[in-house]
Amino acid sequence: MVNVSIKVNGEMRTASVPPETTLLRLLRDNFNLTGAKLGCDVGDCGACTVIVDGLPVNSCLMLANQVDGREVLTIEGLATTDKLHPLQKKFEEFGSLQCGFCGPGIIMSAKALLDENPAPTVMQIRDALGGNLCRCTGYAKMIEAIQAVANGSIEPVASKSA
Amino acid sequence: MACMWYPIGFTVAANPSSAVVKMNEDGTATLLTGTVETGQGSLTILAQITAQELGIATDDVHVVSADTDTTPMDTGAIASRTTYVTGNAARLAAEKVKLMMFDVAAPMLGVKAHQLEAKDHRIQVKGYPQRSVHIADVANHARVVTGEPPIGSASFNPATVALDPETGQGKPFGTYVYATQIAEVDVDDETGDVDVIRIVASHDCGTAINPMLVEGQVEGGISMGVGFALQEEILFDSAGRQINPNLTNYIMPTSLDMPEVEVDIVDNYDPTGPFGAKGVGEPTLVPTAAAILNAIHNAVGVRITSLPATAEKVFAAIKAKRGQHVPPPPLGGPDEHRLPNPSPAT
Repeated sequence: MVNVSIKVNGEMRTASVPPETTLLRLLRDNFNLTGAKLGCDVGDCGACTVIVDGLPVNSCLMLANQVDGREVLTIEGLATTDKLHPLQKKFEEFGSLQCGFCGPGIIMSAKALLDENPAPTVMQIRDALGGNLCRCTGYAKMIEAIQAVANGSIEPVASKSA
Repeated sequence: MACMWYPIGFTVAANPSSAVVKMNEDGTATLLTGTVETGQGSLTILAQITAQELGIATDDVHVVSADTDTTPMDTGAIASRTTYVTGNAARLAAEKVKLMMFDVAAPMLGVKAHQLEAKDHRIQVKGYPQRSVHIADVANHARVVTGEPPIGSASFNPATVALDPETGQGKPFGTYVYATQIAEVDVDDETGDVDVIRIVASHDCGTAINPMLVEGQVEGGISMGVGFALQEEILFDSAGRQINPNLTNYIMPTSLDMPEVEVDIVDNYDPTGPFGAKGVGEPTLVPTAAAILNAIHNAVGVRITSLPATAEKVFAAIKAKRGQHVPPPPLGGPDEHRLPNPSPAT
């Protein structure tokens, strides 16, 4: 067993887990933070994306022990009890998600992008979402929502109704 | 470019949906439906239909769905049927509730029931909206005075006409939708790589009850169509085992593969649908691959006749057209055995 102490969504958490435990399993099974999803479990789909020290990572590919002493932000850390994060709000407004399984990962990838680059181009948004698969939406309304958060306005690039 | 039609509301077997609508004494309504929400937005559509019929807000419709303890059984969230079939059931159930409330409100307003309409949370006299009573007061009056709480149930089953065994003629579906999609592609004639730049999708779905959800369905269908056209293929080895059983090598479109999509919702009205609506789910995927392959032909003059139109196939077809020999596409590994595909070039 290894002892892991990490700051999750601003709160210090500790756990004693088998060494092969991934960050995703630690979050879901030990800390009951089930927002990050277990999709492919091999780093293809991005449904498990969380932010570690400011960078988006596939939490299924990172061992819990590698995160010891670091800071993790998950989808649960975005909204407060009375207010959604602007990304969540715009995703809701634009109908950006359908089944929603990819949503936590997509939103965390988008947050990491906007934290680093508050005014991304459409191509930079597409690039930032390149590791997050979505089977439902065609990504268009997600890109629009991220643009809306970034600019407060929308370039007519992703999709529009004629 | 590719065009298509697609049938909505099959009649080959019974295809019913049922709904129960109950008007509550606070002016909200409850809808019971067996259909399943999987993200396509059908419960929003059903709430909108119910709200429109009752003259209340969509947010005031509580939808209880897909619970065998409480909701009617549904044929399923399949076959692009929910808006049309389940939507009709919800509208008919709400209409019954509305007519019950008209009977209660008529003496309250001193008019005949047929002179009433439901609008803006009120039952009002047609042409005299100032003569009205709040829908909550009508529901409460129905409960505590007339003793007839407004609760309605209805089923909808698309009208069936048996197929003639001699001619095969009949009416196999309730209605049909139509669409045209136009693809713009960039084909690299040195590698065969195809980049879809833009797709314009024009869809008739009857009345678009929720245009944003229609756009979402079209954009999602097109992403599946792009994968179908260019990327997605299940490969088997000689023993019949799938050799690409995960997302590492079963390739589907990412945000970087998606073209710009322009959605054009054709203004239409189907008298057999709820408020003129038909459906939009599966049809969005139907013309995409055909449009992309026609665009490839338009760009480099080759017909690809097996999907997906991988760079290898397109490259081989371009070389064949130019009369140059190229070796067949390399196989992925010693075990790999591609499904027999027809020659890519014709």
